[in-house]
Amino acid sequence: MILNKEYYLGVFGIGETNLEELVAQALKNGGDYADLYFEDTFYSDILLRDSAVSAGGQHLDYGCGIRVLCGEKTGYAYSESTDIPSLTRAAAAAGVIADEAVCSEVAVSPANRYFGKPNPKADRYPFTGDWRNEPLSTAVPFLESIESAIRAKENRCCKVIASLSTSVSDILMYNSYGELKYETRPLASLSITTIFQQEGKTVQNSVGRSLRTGTEFLTPQLATELAQEAVKGVDALFDAKRPKGGKMSVVMGAGASGILLHEAMGHAFEADFNRKGQSVFADRMGKSICPKGINIIDDGTIPANRGACNFDDEGVPGQKTYMVEDGILASYLHDRVSARWYGVAPTGNGRRESFRYNPIPRMRATYMESGKDGSVQDLIAEAGNGIYVDSFSNGEVKIGEGDFTFYVKSGYLIENGRLTMPVKDINIVGNGPRALADIKGVAADLKIDDGTWTCGKEQSVAVSCGIPSVLIGKLTVGGE
Amino acid sequence: MISESEIKLAKECLSMALKAGAQKARVNLVMDRMNLVSTLDSRIDKCTSCFDRSVRISIFADGRFGAFSTNKLEKDSLEAFIAKAVDTVKMLAPDPCRDLPPQERVQKNAVTGRELDLLDETYCSIDGKHRKETALAACLGKVPGKVRLVSEEGEYSDNIYDTLIVDSQGTFCRQTETSFEYFCEVTVEDENGEKYSSFDWAESPRLATLLWKEISRNAYDKACAMIGARNCRGRRCNMVVDREVSSKFVTPILRALRGDNVQQHNSFLDGKEGQKVFPEGMTIADCGARKGESNCILFDDEGVAAKEHVIIDKGIIREYFLNTYSAGKLGKEPTCDGPVRPKLLGWPRAGLTRDDILEMCGDGILVTEFNGGNTNTATGDFSFGIEGFVFKKGKIAYPVKEMLVTGNIVDLWSNLIACGDDSRACMSKLIPTLAFCNVDFNG
Repeated sequence: MILNKEYYLGVFGIGETNLEELVAQALKNGGDYADLYFEDTFYSDILLRDSAVSAGGQHLDYGCGIRVLCGEKTGYAYSESTDIPSLTRAAAAAGVIADEAVCSEVAVSPANRYFGKPNPKADRYPFTGDWRNEPLSTAVPFLESIESAIRAKENRCCKVIASLSTSVSDILMYNSYGELKYETRPLASLSITTIFQQEGKTVQNSVGRSLRTGTEFLTPQLATELAQEAVKGVDALFDAKRPKGGKMSVVMGAGASGILLHEAMGHAFEADFNRKGQSVFADRMGKSICPKGINIIDDGTIPANRGACNFDDEGVPGQKTYMVEDGILASYLHDRVSARWYGVAPTGNGRRESFRYNPIPRMRATYMESGKDGSVQDLIAEAGNGIYVDSFSNGEVKIGEGDFTFYVKSGYLIENGRLTMPVKDINIVGNGPRALADIKGVAADLKIDDGTWTCGKEQSVAVSCGIPSVLIGKLTVGGE
Repeated sequence: MISESEIKLAKECLSMALKAGAQKARVNLVMDRMNLVSTLDSRIDKCTSCFDRSVRISIFADGRFGAFSTNKLEKDSLEAFIAKAVDTVKMLAPDPCRDLPPQERVQKNAVTGRELDLLDETYCSIDGKHRKETALAACLGKVPGKVRLVSEEGEYSDNIYDTLIVDSQGTFCRQTETSFEYFCEVTVEDENGEKYSSFDWAESPRLATLLWKEISRNAYDKACAMIGARNCRGRRCNMVVDREVSSKFVTPILRALRGDNVQQHNSFLDGKEGQKVFPEGMTIADCGARKGESNCILFDDEGVAAKEHVIIDKGIIREYFLNTYSAGKLGKEPTCDGPVRPKLLGWPRAGLTRDDILEMCGDGILVTEFNGGNTNTATGDFSFGIEGFVFKKGKIAYPVKEMLVTGNIVDLWSNLIACGDDSRACMSKLIPTLAFCNVDFNG
C-alpha cells in the first residue's frame, strides 16, 4: 500500500526540512552519501495448540536507522525515538566513519539516482484489510477450521500446532541525493505443524504459506489447501527409510527445491561476497557457469510475493535481475555500496531486517526459468537410479568454497526410472559451481514456493524461491 | 543502564495492566547498548552504534494469556497499548495452566543487578578511539608465503545489557552485565585458485580478559589447514568432534527435553524421564548460575531463580525442562525454563584433550566444522554436512570436505568412546571434544 507523503511524515512526526538537516548532520564530518530509514512496524501472532487458540500477542517496533557511506565503508546508528535531538545524536554517531584517521578515499562511480515519486498504481502489495485494525479474534475460527479439516482427513493426527504471524510496516526513506520514498508493507505467514502417531511411531509434517497481503489472506480456500498439504504423504512418512548413501543422480522436485538456487548459487552471486573476493564466483562475470538455456533470476516484482518490493530498503526500485542468462553469469545482486564499487546500477537488492540494521545485498524471490526437457517423469526416467526430493527444511552454503548442504524432509528413491521407496531425514551435499555445471535436464514446470522462507545472512529477511524440476548428474546423499 | 524513573515506569505498566482488567501481569524491561567496529583487510570497514529499550508485558486476564512488547515508552503510548493488550487477551480461549510462578521459586537476591559479578565497571569509559584501536590491533595484516590471503574480516564489539523483571506478585529481579567479543573470518586461496575459509572468536564479560590477540592468526591457520580438502569415499569409522562444534550433538537432546516438545509428543525422549537412555559416560549438568562466568544468569524470563542441577546423570534422564506453563500442561512440578549453561562432564578420566582422544581412537575422521543439516526432533534422526580431517594412528593425515554424517542421536551416543575435558569457558554450552565409534560417513 502506498499512501500520501503527508501520512508517512505524520507517522514519524518529522518534516521534509528535518530530513535534509539530518543528512547534512550525518555528513558534517565528510562521507559521500547518507540515508535515513524510518520504520513503524506492528506485529501480531496467534497460536492454536491443544485444540484451543489460547496464546497471542501484539508488538510495536519503531525507530530510524541512519547510515553514512565513505567509499564502501559504512557508519551506522539508530534511534528508537524520532525526536530531533535523538536523531541528531544518531546522525553524528553514524558520521564517525568519515573520521579521516580511519576513512581513506575510494574511487566510486557516479551514483544512480531514483527521484520518482512512489506510485500507488504500481504497488506490488496492495491490501484492503489492515492487520493493525483487525482484532486477533478474527483468526480464531480460521485456525480452528484448519485443525478440524486435518483431523477429519487423518485419524492418525494427534497434535496440530497452527500459528499465524502478521505485520504491517510504515516505511519512509530519504537520502543525501534528495530521494524520498515511502510505502506500507504487509506480511502474513501461516505455519502448520502436525504430529501423527501410528503403532508407537511418531512423524511430523510442517506446511506453511506466506504472502505480502492484508486480512484477505484468511480465506476458506487457504484453510482447505493447507489442511490437504498437512496430511499429504503421511503414509510415505511412516514408511520412509534412509537410503543407502553415496553419490547419485538427484531430481529436484519443482517448487521448494528452489532452496538449491538460493543457497548454492544465490548467496555466491551477492555482490558483497564478490566485492571482497570471497565468493567462488568472484572472477566469473560474463563466463559460462552452467549449460546453455539455463536462466536464474532474482525477482522483486512478483505481486504479493514474500520477496516482493516496490523499493528495496535503500529506496532503489524493485526489479527482476537475471543472474544467469543462457548459462552465462550476467549480474551480481547489488546494494548501493557494491554497485558504486563495481560502477553499475544497483539491482534493488539492498535489504535489511529492520531499522536496526544497515542494508546489505540480499535475495528476493530466486528461481530458475522453466526448461525444455519435458516433464518431471521424463527426468526421473532419465535419472534411472538415484533420488527424487520434494521437501526441504533448510540449507547452508560456504561462500568461498561453494559447498552447500540441504536437509531433505521427504522424497523417493528412483530405481530403474521409477519412484519406489519413500525416504526422509537425509542431507544432500555438493558444490555450487559443480552442481550448476552438472545440470542434465530442466523440466517445463516452474513453480514458485510461497512457504515461510527466511534467509539468515547476518539478518533475517523474508524471501521466496522456486524452480522447475531439475536433474543433477551427481550429488552426495547421506544415508545408511 | 536502567534508571530509577524507568524502574518506576515498569511498575506503572503493571498498574496500567491491572487497571485495564488484568488480574496478574509481568513486565520485562530491557536496555541494550552495543558498539561495533568491523575491519576488512586490516582497515576500518564499518562502525555501528546501537541502543535499544523495550518492555515486554505478559497479561493474565480472566484465565487467559497474551504476550506483548513495545519500544514506544512514552506513558500515553504505553497506557493505550496496554489497554488494547488486555482487551485482546480477553478474546482468546482460557488456559488454566497460564500463571505467574509461585513466589518460592522466584529469585530474591537480584536487586542491584550486580550480584552475578558480570559487569565491567570500566565500560562507560571506553570510547570510539579505543574501539577502533582494538579492532585494528587484532588484525592479522599481511602474511608471507604461497597462500594468498583473500580477505580478513574482523569484528570487535562491546555491549552492556540491563534487564529488569517486575510482576504483580511483587517480584523484582535485575541483572546488569557487559560483554566483549572479537570475531575474525579469513578466506585464503591456494595456488590452484581454490578458496578456503575459517573463523575464530573470543568473548569475555570484561575487556581486560578478552583474549583477542591470537584470534585472527587462529582463523588464518584453520583456513590454511583445509587447503587441498576433498571429499573421500564413505565409510563407517570413529568420529572425533572438536570442542568448537561438539554441541551440535548435544543440542538435539536438550531440545527434545523441552517441556513444550514433550507435551506435544514431538520429542524422541517423550516418556523417557527417569530412564537410562544414554551411556554411563554421559553426565550433563546445568552450571548456569556461577558468579563471574560468561552466559550465566540469576533468573529466567519468569523471574525464577537459576540454580545448578543435573539434567542427565550417567545416562539417566533426570528432568525435562518445565516452566510454569509446560509443568501445568504435563501435571508435573516445574523445573526450569531451559538449560542455561549445560556442561558435559569429562569421561572416562579428567584432563583429556583432543590430542589424547585422537590417540585413543587411532584412526577415523575429526570433525571441525558442520555445514548445514538437521535433526528430526520426533525421531532423533540426524544428517549433517561436515568438514575436517582424516586421522591415522592418532595423527591428522589430510583435510576432507563435502561429506555427510548420518545417524540417530540415541544410537550415536550409545557408541560414545570418550568426552574430553577441554570445553571453552566462553561458549554457552560447555561441551568438550567428543569421540564416537561406528559412525556412518558419506562422501
